[in-house]
Formats: sequence, structure tokens, C-alpha cells
Amino acid sequence: MFDNNVYIKDTCKNVEENGQVIGYEMQTNITYYRGIPMSMIVKIEVCEDGVQVPAENIRISVDYVDWFTLSEAETAVNHKWEYGEPLYVRVLKEGGLSEGTHQMVLTEAVRTAYIPLPLEGTKTFEAVI
Amino acid sequence: MSRIKTCVSLYSLQDEYLNKRMSLKDILWFLKNNGVEGIEILPDQMIHGAPNPSEETFAAWDEMIKETGMTPVIADVFLNTNLYNNRTLTRRECVDLLVQEVKMADRLGIKLLRLVSMTPYDVLEPLLPTLEKYQVTVALEIHAGMAFDIPQTQAFIEEMKRLNSPYIGLVIDTGIFCRRLPRVVANYNMSIGGTSEIYDFVNARFDEGIDMKQYFAANGWTDEFKALIKNGVDEFFAHTSDGYENLPYTVLDEYMPYIKHFHFKLFEMTEEGVEYSMDYKGLLEYLHEKHYDGYVSTEYEGNRFVPAGEPMMEKEQVLAHQAYIRKCLKEIQG
Repeated sequence: MFDNNVYIKDTCKNVEENGQVIGYEMQTNITYYRGIPMSMIVKIEVCEDGVQVPAENIRISVDYVDWFTLSEAETAVNHKWEYGEPLYVRVLKEGGLSEGTHQMVLTEAVRTAYIPLPLEGTKTFEAVI
Repeated sequence: MSRIKTCVSLYSLQDEYLNKRMSLKDILWFLKNNGVEGIEILPDQMIHGAPNPSEETFAAWDEMIKETGMTPVIADVFLNTNLYNNRTLTRRECVDLLVQEVKMADRLGIKLLRLVSMTPYDVLEPLLPTLEKYQVTVALEIHAGMAFDIPQTQAFIEEMKRLNSPYIGLVIDTGIFCRRLPRVVANYNMSIGGTSEIYDFVNARFDEGIDMKQYFAANGWTDEFKALIKNGVDEFFAHTSDGYENLPYTVLDEYMPYIKHFHFKLFEMTEEGVEYSMDYKGLLEYLHEKHYDGYVSTEYEGNRFVPAGEPMMEKEQVLAHQAYIRKCLKEIQG
């Protein structure tokens, strides 16, 4: 139902810090029709060329200032992922994605206020570096 | 004599907003320019920082409302009882969150709040002094799949009657009056791999004058029904198939004094100028006879069921529905 919200087109790119490529990141909209605190995110998964990225290598942020591991985000009740604003999903990987085309899958799910099952969405896309 | 007025829930235009084709201001102007005078808003959707937006956000809202002359009729409030993954919020935490929502609504110039289905009944009494102070009413949404028959709704209604306050009531979502399954739901699910037989089965129940909620209540998940589930898409639909109810209007008889607002759900306006699943002329005639005095709000949900690659028609659907409702009202109310 909300698959179309997953991954904002052309946002997958490598990230540099202090002259080093520390990984790559992408942006996605929420798989829901309203904004919620980050603590209600139940799943962010990235699959890169058929290989699942370990959860401990993923960092997420709603403001590009405070970054959380998925486990830390469970307590981030004051950081709201707004409807219509992106969640930044970063994968820590020395050197980032190599030049060329990569097959990526992004999956996300959030808890809602009254629907018993989390709302999940997934998108398969090509990232060209 | 009824005094039924129409408004539009901004939920209807969520895809326009999400993909930044329209800002909140654009949406208000679009509606205003098409003769709409009132709106319903989900603060969590289009008011950043809700329930504690910045002064800048409030000022921008004030300006938009002033410029467009739009009436903000109602705000849809959610209660994140599952804010944490290891526990449910306590009653006091729930009340504290709702107090914030009431204060925000008052600041936005909104005097009616829709409480999401399943809101615990025991928040009402501690919330009442705040409602009285701000003269804001809260009303529980009666939604298909979570309607009058479930214990949480019944508990809320019992408490509402016990407290007997003008600041506590109900919002009715007309998904409880589906006369057939929305075909956009079936078509969308089949576009993502669902199989057709399960929809034939559900449609047959509507043809019998019942719905899946009544079918499950009488028979449970029968082997015949389970055999129709061929994959994950079918499975998800099977679990949500009781979310389209086929109740008589008379189910509202005893609740009319408490009803503050209606969500006029819209799955699909057809080329004939009517809604595919619900008979709004019939419902409006019923409400007219019952002297309903309040708003009915276009809530377009067909936007969730647009197959990939097909155009999103939120604006067109909303305007067609508004035209249909106004035509019905003119015929009924004069």
C-alpha cells in the first residue's frame, strides 16, 4: 500500500567525511500517512547487490544532525519523522559503493497507532554511482 | 430540518503533499478556488512539529487561514500508545499527550478533535477539565473493522454516556455503509500479485446483503475461505477484508445525539457521478430525517489503491465527490 513512498528517486550517493568516503546514503518517505517519532520505526533494511547490509552498519537521521543506530532510534521519542520529509538512511562502508550500477532494495516498516500490524514497504531500484 | 455542510479532509490530498506537488497553502487555495469552505486536517500529516509546532508554523497557519477564509472544522488526532516498543503508555501519559493536542487545536482555531479508533476510554474523565477550559470537543472515530461491535468502542460509548458531556462524542466513518467492495481495492491488489477468487468470494457476500465481518462472526475463517489465500497479497487482504462493513443506517439511531462529524469515505467516483461502494444519497436522506446538524467531510482513500504507473487523481476525485454531495444536499435540503 505504501511501497510507492519508499526511496526518493536519485538520492542514493556516496558520503564523504574528512576527504574519505565513509559509506553511502539514501532518502525515503514514511510508509504511513502521517509523521511519527523515530521510536516507532520497526525496520530499516538495505540489500546491496543481493547482500543484506548488517543492521549495525546502518545509521538513520531525520534532521541530518542527530544520527542513530536502529537500536538507539528505539528511544528517539523526540525526533519526529515528518510526513513529506525524508528519513536519511546511511550505510557505513569504507569506500562506499563502487562506480557503476548497483541493485538495491530498501525495506522499511513503522508501528501505527491502531493497526495491529506494522506498515511495511519495499522498493527495488538501481543506484548509479 | 437538517443543516448539513460539507468540507474536505486534507487526507484526500496526501499524495500531492507527500510528493511536494502541492504545499499546505496550495491545497487550501485549490479547495477555496473550487468552492470548498471547510477543511479537516491531520496535524501529524501537514503541521510540522505537531502537537508542539513552532510559533513560525502557527503564524504561517494563521496567515493561510486568513488569506483563504477557510474554516478549519476538525483535526484528526492519533494517540501513540505504542510510542515505545517495550510497553504501552500509561493512562497519565496518554492524557498528557491529548492535552497537548487540545491546546494545539485551540491555537489553530479548531474546536473539534477526532480521536482515532481504539483510543482508551479511561482518558476521558481526566481530560474533561481541559476540554471544558478550551471548549474543545473530542469524538471517537467509528471505523469499519473497529465499529460499534468491538469492546474498545463499546467501553468508550459507555463512558461517553456516563460522563454525558457536550465535549465528548463520535465521528462516523461511512466505510461501515459499503454496499459492495471497492473495486479499486481488488484491482490494486491484483496489480501486485493478488489472485481474483478471493474478491469473487467477498463480492458474493455483499450480494447476499452481508459483509466479511458478519461472515467471520457467523462462520469464522472457513476452509473454503482459507483455500482462497494463495500468497501474501491475498493474506493481507484476507485480514483486512472485514474493514468494509455493510450496516443499515439505522445502526446510528441511538447514537445520533452524540454524532459530531462524518467522514464521507471515497474510494472511487464513477463516470456516473456516484461513489462506487456507498450510496450517499440514501445516507444523506437518512441524516436529513434525523435532523443532523454538522459537517460531512470528503475523505478520499482511493489514493492508496492506485497501481504503479497509473495517474494519481486526488484532485479530480475530491472535486467530483464534492459536486455529488452538494447535488444530493440541494435535492434534499433545498
